[in-house]
Amino acid sequence: MGNTITIDPITRIEGHAKITLHLDDKGDVAAAQFHTTQFRGFEKLCEGRPFYEMPYLMERICGICPVSHLLASAKACDALLAMKVPPAAGKLRRILELAQLIQSHALSFFYLSSPDLILGMDADPKERNIFGVVQKQPELARWGIRLRQFGQQIIETLAGKRIHPAWVVPGGVNEPLSVEKRDKLLAQIPEAINIAQQTLKGFKWQLENFRAEIRTFANFPSLFMGLVTVDERAGYYQGKIRFTDSLGNIVADNLEPADYQQFIGEAVEPYTFMKFPYYKPMGYPDGMYRVGPLARLNLVDNCGTPLAQQEWIEFRDLERSAVLSSFHYHYARLIEILFALEHIQEYLEDPIITKKQAKYSASLNNLEGVGCCEAPRGTLIHHYRVDEQGLITFANLIIATGHNNLAMNRGILQAARHFVRSEKLTEGMLNRVEAVIRAFDPCLSCSTHADGHMALHVQLLSPDRKLIDEIYR
Amino acid sequence: MTSIILACGNALRGDDGIGLYLAHQLYGLICDAETEIVCSHQWLPEQAEDLSRARAAVFIDASVAVPAGEIRVQPVPNECAKMAGVTTHALTPNRLMSLARELFGNAPERAFLVTIGASSFEHGSEFSEPVRKAIPAALRQIQDLLFEESVRVG
Repeated sequence: MGNTITIDPITRIEGHAKITLHLDDKGDVAAAQFHTTQFRGFEKLCEGRPFYEMPYLMERICGICPVSHLLASAKACDALLAMKVPPAAGKLRRILELAQLIQSHALSFFYLSSPDLILGMDADPKERNIFGVVQKQPELARWGIRLRQFGQQIIETLAGKRIHPAWVVPGGVNEPLSVEKRDKLLAQIPEAINIAQQTLKGFKWQLENFRAEIRTFANFPSLFMGLVTVDERAGYYQGKIRFTDSLGNIVADNLEPADYQQFIGEAVEPYTFMKFPYYKPMGYPDGMYRVGPLARLNLVDNCGTPLAQQEWIEFRDLERSAVLSSFHYHYARLIEILFALEHIQEYLEDPIITKKQAKYSASLNNLEGVGCCEAPRGTLIHHYRVDEQGLITFANLIIATGHNNLAMNRGILQAARHFVRSEKLTEGMLNRVEAVIRAFDPCLSCSTHADGHMALHVQLLSPDRKLIDEIYR
Repeated sequence: MTSIILACGNALRGDDGIGLYLAHQLYGLICDAETEIVCSHQWLPEQAEDLSRARAAVFIDASVAVPAGEIRVQPVPNECAKMAGVTTHALTPNRLMSLARELFGNAPERAFLVTIGASSFEHGSEFSEPVRKAIPAALRQIQDLLFEESVRVG
């Protein structure tokens, strides 16, 4: 029987989780488990409620990506009403989705992960935070704040408030966009694009310093999944589901999100509350796939906007086939910020965007509806069934982070085997194991909210459970 | 911008929402276009830029460290705060002021933290009796602070 190392909780992620590393008799890491220690009960608590409450109830799942839940839920309700939304509303919803992506990716890259990239994986954890970055590279910290602020500002301008807005409704959006508000947003885009480009440039310079991390941070063959539009772009708001393999071959294509149960299975394990989605035809756990920024850039044949396209070509040149290292989620995130800014500009410049017709009305026409969109962290699915009165009888959510669960578990095992030496634990070792998870940017807040400062307590126990070493921070 | 009001709290957790409630009331009471009001769940780094553009700041929050219904007004020290070990989920007024100064080159010359003693944080948007009774006085005190600042800066 071997020893166990527990990292509890993992810091600088959204929500609460811990990692357990199991050592063999030689002291090498034999197995790794990523535990989500919080429970999300939203599927049960919404039963019996009217379907039209769902967008505002479901978005309360999270304080970071409420817009994604709002949109997926509203789309599921659109399906219950069997209706399309007005053209202006469709584009306004798309802008909201992309704004959410900008603010969330900025949070992940600048606030949560840049301390590792700028200060180093071995830096003192007391300094290894955004404020340490402020001291060392104030310009980068200003850029991060500005980009996050701009994403939030777009959400507030369109939807009335930054967190938990009620603007998106089944059938469209509550209020059209005025010309004045549009012009105010458009005026700020060049500055934001410049920041995104400068950040990408700096990040690419840094890549050489992270060779070991690139090689060992969940760098293995897997499937990739995401929404793709008819013109072969990543479909952030809508599209059909595509699976590709690690060589870049299409495994399955043009799959209807509403049929997700035909190709996605959900396994459970006793050590975590997070389910393990897998690609059904390959079974569990062989059907492991990844979603999110890395997957989206691996799935498509073009990025779709001029500046992001150039970056995407360079990104795909990292490998001859798909880009496999999850360290490159960071890189992909930055390209997606640039894409989102360019794409928002295109939408805002479209005259249709200020049309007054922003909502259609209908009554209940279907008893089952599925809504799907690409949240910042990957594909998000909301599935509802209702009775004749429109009361929810069944709800199932597949959260973006869940899709990555198998890959995250395998990723921490890979990194732990490379970096962890059981005789003596060091901060740098454990931070690298955490940083694998951080690269995926899991949003465990979809279950609950973080509660102030998160401490880290790691214990190294002998086979007879005696304490060999421990670290607090 | 002359003044900024930064209120934080959770409007669905009883007394915790008093800061947001007061800020919303102040929207109707303050006719000064030079005063900006910002409401949020927590004070976050992205508010540092807003703060850097103001000459005076009033932070409003609920507190369990103050007896229920009591209003406490404290100056926020205009000095560098220790940043070690803090998270980005919630900042203190002092840390937000420091961040504004370090990143954007300026922080308000004068800043005050107005805390209202709170006792009930149950689910719901109702305030406890002591907090409800404190609302008129809290609004008066915040308006007085803003008036003094506007007179001071001319």
